[in-house]
Amino acid sequence: MPMDTPTAEPDAPETYAVPAGRLETDRFVIPAVTIFILLLLGFFMLFPLTSILRLSFFKGGHFALHNFTLINFHKYFTTSYTLNALWHSLYVSVATTLIVTVVIFFFAYALTRTTIPGKTFFRNLIMMPLVAPSIMQALALIYLFGRNGIVTAHLLHTNWNIYGPVGIIVSEVLYCLPHAFVILFTTLSAVDIRLDEAAESLGASPFKVFTRITLPSAKYGIFSAAALTFNLTITDFGNPVVIGGNYNVLATEIYAQVTNLYRFDLGATISIILLVPSLMAFMLNYYISRKTFSMISGAAKPVIPPSRPFKKSAFLSYCSLLSFSIIVVFATVIIGSFVKTWPYDWTLTLAHYHFPSIGGYSAIWTSLWIALVVGLGGAFITLVAGYVMETRRPFLKQPLYLLSVMPAAIPGLVMGLGYILAFNKPYYVFYGTPWIVVICVIISNFTLGILSNISSLRNIDPSIEEASISLGGDSLRTFFKIIFPLSKVAFFQNFLYFFMRSMTTISAVIFLVSASVHLAAIEIIMLDNDGWTASANAMCTCIIAIVLVMLGILHFVSKKIGRQTSSLVPVDA
Amino acid sequence: MMKKTAALFVGIGLLALLFAGSAMAKQKVVVYTSLENEEIVDYLNFAKKELPDLDIQAIRLSTGELGARMMAEKDNPQADCIWGWAVTNMAGFVPKKMLKPYKPTGWDKIPAHFKDPKGYWTAMDLYAAAFVINTKVIKAKNLPMPKGWKDLLNPAYKGLLIMPNPASSGTGFLQVASLLEMFDKQYKNKPVAQNKAWGFLDKLDKNMGQYIKSGSKPAKLTAAGEYAIGCSFAFVYSSLKKKGFPVVMVLPEEGAGYELEANALLAGAKHEAAAKKFLNWAISKSAMQRYAKFKLGVTYPGIPGPKDLPALSSIKLAPMDFPWQSKNRPKILEVWQQHFLK
Repeated sequence: MPMDTPTAEPDAPETYAVPAGRLETDRFVIPAVTIFILLLLGFFMLFPLTSILRLSFFKGGHFALHNFTLINFHKYFTTSYTLNALWHSLYVSVATTLIVTVVIFFFAYALTRTTIPGKTFFRNLIMMPLVAPSIMQALALIYLFGRNGIVTAHLLHTNWNIYGPVGIIVSEVLYCLPHAFVILFTTLSAVDIRLDEAAESLGASPFKVFTRITLPSAKYGIFSAAALTFNLTITDFGNPVVIGGNYNVLATEIYAQVTNLYRFDLGATISIILLVPSLMAFMLNYYISRKTFSMISGAAKPVIPPSRPFKKSAFLSYCSLLSFSIIVVFATVIIGSFVKTWPYDWTLTLAHYHFPSIGGYSAIWTSLWIALVVGLGGAFITLVAGYVMETRRPFLKQPLYLLSVMPAAIPGLVMGLGYILAFNKPYYVFYGTPWIVVICVIISNFTLGILSNISSLRNIDPSIEEASISLGGDSLRTFFKIIFPLSKVAFFQNFLYFFMRSMTTISAVIFLVSASVHLAAIEIIMLDNDGWTASANAMCTCIIAIVLVMLGILHFVSKKIGRQTSSLVPVDA
Repeated sequence: MMKKTAALFVGIGLLALLFAGSAMAKQKVVVYTSLENEEIVDYLNFAKKELPDLDIQAIRLSTGELGARMMAEKDNPQADCIWGWAVTNMAGFVPKKMLKPYKPTGWDKIPAHFKDPKGYWTAMDLYAAAFVINTKVIKAKNLPMPKGWKDLLNPAYKGLLIMPNPASSGTGFLQVASLLEMFDKQYKNKPVAQNKAWGFLDKLDKNMGQYIKSGSKPAKLTAAGEYAIGCSFAFVYSSLKKKGFPVVMVLPEEGAGYELEANALLAGAKHEAAAKKFLNWAISKSAMQRYAKFKLGVTYPGIPGPKDLPALSSIKLAPMDFPWQSKNRPKILEVWQQHFLK
């Protein structure tokens, strides 16, 4: 977590005698890099968005005053099934948000405020859904609770099945757990637990302590987690497309309008409509998260008092139950990929790993290469962007910051649609190559990358950088010799983040796959669409395996490096 | 420390090289197709042997998705040719000037009603709508065996039927189109929305468990026991039967709707010469014999279909009016969505 280290006097370096050459580089390098990143974000984020705006508000997408029209919006709001997609989206997202926030609050509470055993295990397990594409939950739920699911049809013998809103909500809950957990865990471990103790020793009942002290002190974290969950759910495409049945949501409706009816204008219009709630949730989150960090005090790390046996066993079984459901999801998909015919024939087989598609294993390799490039490129460019923003003389800091946090508010599907509308011209040579996928994934995930870099840069003692400058190092040398080595752990974390997103993203790239670029995550959807559910599970398992291997490698590497450099980092994050 | 950083950049450079240089020697051709994945893998393995100098890059998307893709890429086509795509959709591309006439070698051998007279498209096969029925589910629930569309209105089937969404699936569209043409002989003389078949489809909707995106999935989900009857097409049945699923096939007694799958050269193709070579191969006798392992009927005369499917001549086909379907596709889909998507 970021903590404000006392800032050095702003004009301290001016008093040193500095070589003129160094100042020249500095004067040139920082603005040049800033402008480069601004142009990059402008061209690969704002420009595709304008294509979408143009197509939805202007006849034939031709920008001119007399072409301005609201006919697409009129059509959207007067057609019952497209309008319903909005209500469906809101219903599913609000329900998911409520469930996730409550469920994960108690989970995070158990991990930060009680003395249950196995905390590391629980913490790692709740993060597991991050390593798989968002479609995985839906695949597992169909095997468990589908019309021929092992639980519904074979254990309970009911006709009930999970297709529709219930299925979407359950799979979105499982998908959003880790994201919400990170926020609430950080908040709850930062809030001073001694307040609770003080209240308790003054005679307040446990219930009163909880409602009057614990909840209010974590309220910003709760709102922030809720906003993030809402945003993730309303923009998700993978789960609703698989388990939604005939229940359409905005994301699936965009896809349906474009691919079934060739109505790019209506697809663009629905994109705008989807952008509104997700932008609102994002801004709420952004506003709140600024408050959260100002509330956190540095002194809040006392020992947790031993919990009462009842409380301990209640929370232990609660955490076990939640962890169990995550394990079941993973086990279902993995086992489902190795058995002959779920749930009739449990003979083990590798038959589903002979992918009945053109992509097959080449899709996995392409995905892996792209993910490596995205990981390196994304981690590096967000580090550079973070550095020029946090440098002592930033250039155009506010516009850069605004553009950097914007991608988080743009649904992947909207970004992807914008890319085909904007870049499918003969002179954009990267269209139809893997590079457009690389760029799209980096830009879509820019926000989290840069935010984590900024917070890690703030943790570097400014005096180290000052020392470098006073010894004659310019910004370039300071960056490569001081900042980059010191940010290595953060760099690896970011690499992992970009790598995982690239391996698992569906919505941002579904419009961008082509005859020469097949991607593993998209193959899952295509296999499932054609009814090859077991092979879809197999492809999903391959992605999970690759991400876990990468996780293991990086864990090992960053542990080794972390030990060497930790002494230089003054604040223990 | 710096060494590692350096290694990192060398790594990035190497990756860039990997992206750039691959398959330089062969002539590249980019093929868009809506054939089933399973058959494509088989055909492409065969094509690689017959066309060793071509580097065939293909992507398979559903009928609707593929159309959207080509519309989006209209000004900058990424593909060179279309292979096995519904004629109803293909015909809509001719007035948009998205296709380029090309009569492949052996074009004369294909009967006239299977090709465009100007050579915009040449059909390679015909596939027909069929019900795939799970015998285990039928027995367990003690249901009667349906003979045609009208039998599906039996309330006993409530929630146990599944059919494709005609908007995304070519199979779904041909089913709906065949009903519009069979259940209302006056279909040509009235607006689509007033067709009598909508009344039938409304009743059928009460029994329908789900409208699903792909045309083969109703059969596959039925085979897996999720539904009793899947409205799908004939070829997927034979592949499921071979895998040992408890399924039987029924062709609707009113007449089975069918669709032609055709090939075409895209206007603005970047690898036109290679595309022509591929299109020549795609209607050659050897390729057609390969298709006949899967397809109900191929357009090359004298090649029998697969053994486990009935002979094409014995099937009662619905009278399909392709020009009318093609012209009215947007309207049909709009009315369908107003009726059945809530």
